[in-house]
Amino acid sequence: MRDLMRILRLYGPYRSWLLGGIVLALLTILANFGLLALAGWFLASAGIAGLSSYAAQNAFNFFAPSAGVRFFATLRVLCRYLGRLVDHEATFRQLAGLRSFIYARLEPLAPAGLAGDRSGDLLGRLVADVDRLGEFHLRVFTPFLAALFASLAMALLFAALAPPAGLALLFGLALAGLAVPLATLALGDRPSRHAVALRAAMRADVVDAVQGMAELLTYGAAPAFAERIDGANATLIAEERRLAGIAGFGAAATLLIAGLTMAAMLLLGDALVLSHRLSGPDLPLLALGALAAFEAVGPLPQAFQHLGGMRAAARRIFEILDRPPPIAEPTRSPRRPARLDLALRGVRLRYSELGPWALDGLDLAIGEGERIAIVGRSGAGKTSLVNLVLRFAPYQAGSATIGGVELSAIRGDDMRSLFTVVSQKSYLFAGSIRDNLLIAKPDAGEQALWRALETAELADFVRTLPEGLESLVGEAGTRLSGGEARRLVLARAALRSSPFLILDEPTEGLDPLTEAALRADLDHLAGGRTQILITHRLAGIAEDDRVVLIEAGRVAEDGRYGDLRRQGRTLPRLAALEAALARL
Amino acid sequence: MLADGSPREGRVLRRNIDARLIVAGRSARRGLAAAIALGFAAGLLVIAQAALLAGVVTALVFRHATVAEVTPAFAALAALFAVRALFTWASEIAAFRAAGSVKADLRRALLDHLFRLGPAFAAGEKSADLAATAIEGVEALEPYLARYLPQLALVALVPLAILAAIFPVDWMSGLVLLFAAPIIPLFMIFVGSRAEAINRRQWRRLLRMSAHFLDAVQGIATLKLFGRAREEIALVARISDQYRRTTMAGLRVAFLTSAVLEFFASLGIALVAVLFGVRLLHGALGFFPAFFVLLLVPEFFLPLRGLATHYHARMSALAAAARIFDILDARPGQPAGRTKPPPGPVSITCRGLSLATAEGRSVLHHIDCVFPAGKMTAVVGRSGAGKSTLAAAILGFLPLRSGAILVDGATPLAALDREAWWRQLAYVPQAPRLFAGTIADNLRLARREATDEALYAALFRARLLDVIQRLPEGLSTRIGEGGAGLSGGEAQRLALARAFLKDAPILILDEATAHLDLETESEIVEAISDLAQNRTAIVIAHRLKTVRRADQILVLAEGQIAESGTHETLRARGGAYAALFGAGISVAERSCAT
Repeated sequence: MRDLMRILRLYGPYRSWLLGGIVLALLTILANFGLLALAGWFLASAGIAGLSSYAAQNAFNFFAPSAGVRFFATLRVLCRYLGRLVDHEATFRQLAGLRSFIYARLEPLAPAGLAGDRSGDLLGRLVADVDRLGEFHLRVFTPFLAALFASLAMALLFAALAPPAGLALLFGLALAGLAVPLATLALGDRPSRHAVALRAAMRADVVDAVQGMAELLTYGAAPAFAERIDGANATLIAEERRLAGIAGFGAAATLLIAGLTMAAMLLLGDALVLSHRLSGPDLPLLALGALAAFEAVGPLPQAFQHLGGMRAAARRIFEILDRPPPIAEPTRSPRRPARLDLALRGVRLRYSELGPWALDGLDLAIGEGERIAIVGRSGAGKTSLVNLVLRFAPYQAGSATIGGVELSAIRGDDMRSLFTVVSQKSYLFAGSIRDNLLIAKPDAGEQALWRALETAELADFVRTLPEGLESLVGEAGTRLSGGEARRLVLARAALRSSPFLILDEPTEGLDPLTEAALRADLDHLAGGRTQILITHRLAGIAEDDRVVLIEAGRVAEDGRYGDLRRQGRTLPRLAALEAALARL
Repeated sequence: MLADGSPREGRVLRRNIDARLIVAGRSARRGLAAAIALGFAAGLLVIAQAALLAGVVTALVFRHATVAEVTPAFAALAALFAVRALFTWASEIAAFRAAGSVKADLRRALLDHLFRLGPAFAAGEKSADLAATAIEGVEALEPYLARYLPQLALVALVPLAILAAIFPVDWMSGLVLLFAAPIIPLFMIFVGSRAEAINRRQWRRLLRMSAHFLDAVQGIATLKLFGRAREEIALVARISDQYRRTTMAGLRVAFLTSAVLEFFASLGIALVAVLFGVRLLHGALGFFPAFFVLLLVPEFFLPLRGLATHYHARMSALAAAARIFDILDARPGQPAGRTKPPPGPVSITCRGLSLATAEGRSVLHHIDCVFPAGKMTAVVGRSGAGKSTLAAAILGFLPLRSGAILVDGATPLAALDREAWWRQLAYVPQAPRLFAGTIADNLRLARREATDEALYAALFRARLLDVIQRLPEGLSTRIGEGGAGLSGGEAQRLALARAFLKDAPILILDEATAHLDLETESEIVEAISDLAQNRTAIVIAHRLKTVRRADQILVLAEGQIAESGTHETLRARGGAYAALFGAGISVAERSCAT
């Protein structure tokens, strides 16, 4: 229930729309009720008048009731139309807002806080689960409140005519509008929740299947994967069949209760007519009115059977909204320091409370404008160092400062604005080459784009494409070759000027000729910026460059490359290894 | 690849979607027939119910009958309600039965076909779009099959039955209804074309929204790095809002249609009621026929109104089905046959092989080469030279423009049973995909029944065993999508371990040693050479230390084989190969010069 209340709270800004929708739904029900009750009474009265004297026929007011019938008919059509418009407009506005709200909450979580999530599953929350929340308002909340008020109003009207009739109607409506929906709620809870979970799993699986297609096929895992999706499909259909059965039960029960209430109304009315407490024409009024009254509660059983699913969808969304960000952010950053020197002292960092230390007492100082190369085996902590300065991961001990300001006092966005990063994880978006470049600098002109492509040795390639800059790169850049994708990432980085440049294996996956050409361009790209090069290869590091070797989350060696290569502990071995490999 | 038909054909196809859906719904026939029969029976019951009710009310009001006199009628009425309730229940189940099997079948067909189309098709598509088509798209067919189609039959049957009941009782109201009824279908035809365009647009927007969101979620870290997350949030809001707008445009048409139809229906009711009122007042007619007809008039319009409501469902289903059939109509890249590939490390021959990308960009021209059985061939060349494309062609993912790939010197790849071919080989692509799950799950993708010992052995070969053993949960450690939780080099080695685990006679490695540190790389190169013993290995690489161990080196340049030979012969020749690796050496040597 708390989840549902929370959904409603999200509708805050649309409170008046909500109210309008409920009032219009209420009017629709009442108009229909009025229409049928009046029509029944009118026909019976006219019939009775027709049987009586000529005087009685003349005295019969023909026009007022027929005008009433027309009024109710028009009111009903109008209110129904407007009510649906208002309800849907409010809901979809709210849903659109909710989507960007959820995405805005995903952003501080990324990347560490989302590392365990499948992107297809997150997508499902943004698209399908949000849609399902809309159903809560459209199918449950508004109809239920409208039915509640309408039922009370209609019972009161009947009670004004004859109190037992009012009571009987209220009883019937309560049965169909409360008892039956509660029954379908209980019956539908599990299947509808299960259906939400199954659809979510299926979406994530399909995304995985499409993106990992080559491996799944060649490893022969495709049939097993297809079987898994198909199993979910079959279970989903079975759950849906169960829900259809429950829907049938709900509709049947409502129909039966409506019919029996009407019959009871006739019996009751007849007794009252015989005891002259009601007139004859009141009888069809009661019968038809009772029948019409059930229009109010008709949609409730089907809506309530899906409530479990709506709640499950809400939970999936709230789970993201409630996730604590992996890193606590200050609300404001201090003024940008005059010098941007990085100083890390005894920094320890790990990604989970019990996990191994990724950085374990790291000491490192990088002065502004310095060029350093960081080397180390995979898993030594090079990427964690990058995550640390980009504020993607918090450090648990030690101190990390930039220009003397502790990193934890700086907002992540402000910290990241100082860096340009090229890494394996750099993502290409499914738009054009131009779209991908503009991410770095939205206002970049044509010339700047081409200059960036030249820097990354990609301009010639783009010129050969018939669509040039507008060529689509495919999802995650899959339409480009590995080397082209890599260079597009570099070109994008070249567009952005920031005090720091982090190059994480920038030339990995490039052929030696391109690599050699790029190295020169990269020096040019770095300019006077502080450059942190993470590399596995010592080739290309100049004698005077500073090299930092990281081992097991700690700085093992730090100094001029020339010195370390001669006097270091590990570096001489690495250099010899590489030279031997290259000379083979 | 998608466009294997002309645009004209496309239009014809689209026009036939109704028909194709009905064909797809063949398995739904019994459910549909039951739904129609139950609906029609319910319609007849409504007539009986109206007659009973009118009789009871007339007796009570005009003949002042006692309760005892009308008890049988009441009993009959109650029984009628019970039967109607049962019919309603049964018709819900029948309607779902009609849709359920079609949904299940189509979804399965769609997913099977996606796998058949393979990675070349997938590269041109957006996975979120495909997922939405398989889930929401198939879902959208349900109202069409379960509601619209039965309604289409009922709209012809029920009003006719009601008219048949009304005419003998009161021909005048019968005439009114007879003339009012056709207005409704006419109006729907008028609205139809507009609604169709809107629904198509709405469907496109949903797919685009899904695709954009997945892109935004997968690239969220990159967006943050560029400080573009705020703009992305605004973009998400804008795209969501566009979706709202098109959805509402469709709904507005649907709501207006129902409102107009409802208005006509109530106009009909009011007209009938007034006609009765006048005649009743003048004693020209009894109460029974009037009440009987009045009860039936709304029921007369009900199926027509229902048809209008479900007409929206039909439009939505057609738009979704168009996309579903588009995918189902796409042809797989390379035809596959049923021949079993010869066992063991066979040779692979490319003869006059030409290939183009899906967009028609020519990538490989007239390649003639042999990958000898049991030998390691390295494929080198500048980026974009077509190395990965060649691998994709050998895997059978890409359609050949001309030429052939022969297995064991004789059997064309196109004749091979594709799955049997894949069973023969282990492939590590350039950007290997790791799935969210445990490390063991990711490894067992290659061999489902592999023991833990086999997993450890593969991890050992890929130089990953110590890393995994140091993890508190070992093989059961959960990793995220794309290997989140592992370092780049560790993820790469896990992908390699998967290939080692498969232990297949043919090995295709596309830059499998990228992202590895020097020591690991040289160890892995050893491991790969060991593994490649007596296997046909195709290794795409940029690093000399991998390449030089190959028995044969192919140098690709601009889609053609520029040179081939061993490391020594190629180096001596001083051509493209020497140029390629001369550069690499000079960089290394320069730094070692002092």
